[in-house]
Amino acid sequence: MSLTEREFWTLVHGMVLGTLFLLAFGGGLAGLYSFREKYLTADGVAERSPRLVLGTAVMAVVAWLTVIVGTWIVYPWYRAVPAAGTTDLTKFPKSLLISNPDTAEWHTFGMEWKEHVAFLAPLLATAVAFATIYYGAQLVRRGEIRRAMLVFFTLAFAAAGIAGLFGALITKAAPII
Amino acid sequence: MQSTETKPNGPVAASFMAAGIGSLVLGIVVCLNELGGDISKFLAFDKNFGLGSGVGPLSGKVSIMVLAFVISWVVLHLVWRGKEVNFGRVFTVALILVAAGFILTFPPVFELFVPKKA
Repeated sequence: MSLTEREFWTLVHGMVLGTLFLLAFGGGLAGLYSFREKYLTADGVAERSPRLVLGTAVMAVVAWLTVIVGTWIVYPWYRAVPAAGTTDLTKFPKSLLISNPDTAEWHTFGMEWKEHVAFLAPLLATAVAFATIYYGAQLVRRGEIRRAMLVFFTLAFAAAGIAGLFGALITKAAPII
Repeated sequence: MQSTETKPNGPVAASFMAAGIGSLVLGIVVCLNELGGDISKFLAFDKNFGLGSGVGPLSGKVSIMVLAFVISWVVLHLVWRGKEVNFGRVFTVALILVAAGFILTFPPVFELFVPKKA
């Protein structure tokens, strides 16, 4: 049982960082939604505030790490160009996909969308993380900002979800090996 | 108006608007890349500036996005620091910019910028 270098980094990109992102999103969303004065005592706010900061900060950091690893480590393997005359394209996923009309759209639509939309996630998550760090416990008294954070947080998850879904499907059609 | 017992919202508004600007800039650069030619060659920051290897124009697209995000955040932070701004209006504009970013990074949309072959 072993992993190649490419399999290892693909795993880090999709599974390790992806799982952390999901966990941070779930915790952060629940924490943000209920972070209201009417639900919490002063002690409750003090207890939850650091956890909210940690959750949103982890989500932002993980989002950046995911796109950096994906773009600068995994993506070059995906788009590597085979030498002229190469017939076995299994080590050239992009070329493998576009060589067949039945699979070409996994690249022309799936990968082309994934590689761009993924970058919206860290932007949005960073804004949310900054707001929790900036306000800390005071966030309970800033309802309009907390609601805006929920919207950005959810959009960050949607962007990452699109990228993650297509990543999994493209890897199934043409794995990086 | 919110309680004055909290910090002013300017710095948070700046971060939200910067995220919107970064999103829009990414969408614009993705569309410009489809025009091909010198723009696409310039965006290959991996070859031109040693920013990675084999990444292609994506390296330039996302680097410009990050620059737009950071620069706009710093500038807006300096402008709105210590101020209470109309957050609802700022957030609405930021949301429109993010939506534009989503739309412009959707393949059927940015492929409209591919020059038609004669």
